[in-house]
Amino acid sequence: MDAKPIVVCTWNESQGGLTVGAEEALTLGRGVAGATGAKLRLLVLGPLPEAAMETAGRFGADAVDWIEDAALEAFSPDAYVEALAGYCQQESPALVLFNQAADTRLVAPRLAGRVGAGVVMNGVDVSVGEGGGLQATASAYGGDTQMVYELSGAPSYVVALSANALLPEPAEGGPTEPECRVISSDLSGVQERVRVIEQARAEGPRLEDADIIVSGGRGLGGPENYKLIEQLAEALGGLAGASRPIVDEGWVDSSQQVGLTGKITRPALYLAAGISGASQHMAGCSAAKTIVAINSDPDAAIFRYARYGLVGDCLEILPELIRAARQ
Amino acid sequence: MRIVVCVKEVLDPDAVNNYALAGRLEIGEDGKSLTQTTIPRLMNGFDEQALEAALRLRDAGVECRIGAVSVGPDTATILKHAAALGADEIAALPMDDPTPDYHVAAALLAAYIRSSGDADLVLCGRQASDDDQGVVPALICEALGMPLVTNARAIELAPAADEPTLRITRVTPDGDEVVEVSCPAVVTVSNELGEPRYPTAAKKIAARRMKPEIITPEGLSLPAETLRPRVVAQRQFVPTVAGDCEFVPGESPAELAEALVARLRQDSLIQ
Ligand SMILES: Cc1cc2nc3c(=O)[nH]c(=O)nc-3n(C[C@H](O)[C@H](O)[C@H](O)COP(=O)(O)OP(=O)(O)OC[C@H]3O[C@@H](n4cnc5c(N)ncnc54)[C@H](O)[C@@H]3O)c2cc1C
Repeated sequence: MDAKPIVVCTWNESQGGLTVGAEEALTLGRGVAGATGAKLRLLVLGPLPEAAMETAGRFGADAVDWIEDAALEAFSPDAYVEALAGYCQQESPALVLFNQAADTRLVAPRLAGRVGAGVVMNGVDVSVGEGGGLQATASAYGGDTQMVYELSGAPSYVVALSANALLPEPAEGGPTEPECRVISSDLSGVQERVRVIEQARAEGPRLEDADIIVSGGRGLGGPENYKLIEQLAEALGGLAGASRPIVDEGWVDSSQQVGLTGKITRPALYLAAGISGASQHMAGCSAAKTIVAINSDPDAAIFRYARYGLVGDCLEILPELIRAARQ
Repeated sequence: MRIVVCVKEVLDPDAVNNYALAGRLEIGEDGKSLTQTTIPRLMNGFDEQALEAALRLRDAGVECRIGAVSVGPDTATILKHAAALGADEIAALPMDDPTPDYHVAAALLAAYIRSSGDADLVLCGRQASDDDQGVVPALICEALGMPLVTNARAIELAPAADEPTLRITRVTPDGDEVVEVSCPAVVTVSNELGEPRYPTAAKKIAARRMKPEIITPEGLSLPAETLRPRVVAQRQFVPTVAGDCEFVPGESPAELAEALVARLRQDSLIQ
């Protein structure tokens, strides 16, 4: 009998590509599938993104399973959970991997609850443990620590991977040619119980997609100084972000919060001014390629993550940076 | 209506952060719990805000009974805190393991809610600040067959509905979304709800005399199957951060700024 499959689950984002993070999940899934002799599948809910077959092949998937249903066209938690539960009952995967985002935070644990699976969020790794069973490593305390969980006792597992868990690596030895399997599901009976009265309207570009982010924290001293962050962001062609305390204080809107419970970003450049570098903040920016920190305390934790550090008063340095960047 | 708020005791996350920053976070002999006995224990911040959401509903004139329930080894302190804040009933579901499997915790909570007269609204924090998992509310909603709304920043009773209906403003990556859901429902609360209130001295004194109702798994007559852990914490460790920070030289803010911009241009990170 074949080992139970390893499934990476994704759905179409508005841009028409695969969900951010699907490549990372496929990379990890391929490792687990290899170690357990299982097949690797990419499961797509709703419209099949153009890139799906190619990406699945490049990352070594054996199949793309596609659940197409009008109810899955846009994100709809009840329909998504129902479709996934049906899929799990039919295909009995050993592991369903998600890339962690706000939507998966809603769907992944509900799926586990629905089908009696075990679930781990904030995953950074899944591997085969000494006893031959699966184990998952997940961050805790915002990333101050990591926890290793043994996955045994449930017929299947659901794991969501953190944004900065690993780097995507295409399959060695070139792409596979996955077959596309259309999976039928009956979602006619599902009625979304949560009714959207007013849709969220993202205004302008999103921090998640930004290439350059300039963030400010409590070290700015007061709300009136946040404009320095906005001006520097503008001068660098980037977006402005924030740490949680200044969101909680009402200096800036919560859509600008970077971190564990805010935006998970992956810019090329992340510049943090007056931010101490608590794990919960870094959870939202440590996937940045280059981090620059401005802090008056030379021992601030943020410098451990930074490529470049500026020790000094950000209220004095920021205006000079704005000037230098504009030149 | 009956509101049940699920609360968890955690180590003060700010204190844990401080130990981590000082490089002094240590794991005990069991290989999985933090040794620092000086770190205060308190109610998970998001749970406190979930309780605050319930109290605000009551302040807004919603007639309700608010219960607080907690799973854990020693929950009396946070339950009394919940009572001091305004919970009418407090219930403890004892569990010895300091890192309990959250599937079991959710099963216990769901069974308690069902057996204690059901709830019109189950409120939880969006996640616990220790394991950050945030899965218990979703597991409860599935166990009870209720809908789930996550990351609320405001909860009110929808006006002029035929059946009790909640109108919830939730925080999403794309900004605020307003949704409606009929009761019963599970709702998680995010920090955007704002500061929770402080208990008054009089209420604190009154709460000290309150004893949580203690409910054992046997009392809930749960099948053994439900109490079998599925995700077992094996070990906890402190990850290392590989730092390679170059401190940019400069005597004045202007020099620092120019030196940084030169480096960022060199690295083609900015134009
Ligand atoms: C469950 C949980 C979830 C959380 N989620 C998030 C999250 O999503 N995002 C988030 O950001 N936080 C989050 N936090 C909070 C986090 O733990 C920290 O408290 C927070 O990130 C600290 O913000 P800060 O760095 O702006 O403030 P502080 O920690 O107060 O740091 C201010 C820094 O500014 C420096 N400074 C002061 N004056 C100056 C000056 N003039 N010039 C230069 N530097 C100066 C100081 O040296 C200090 O390093 C969460 C916490 C918990 C418990």
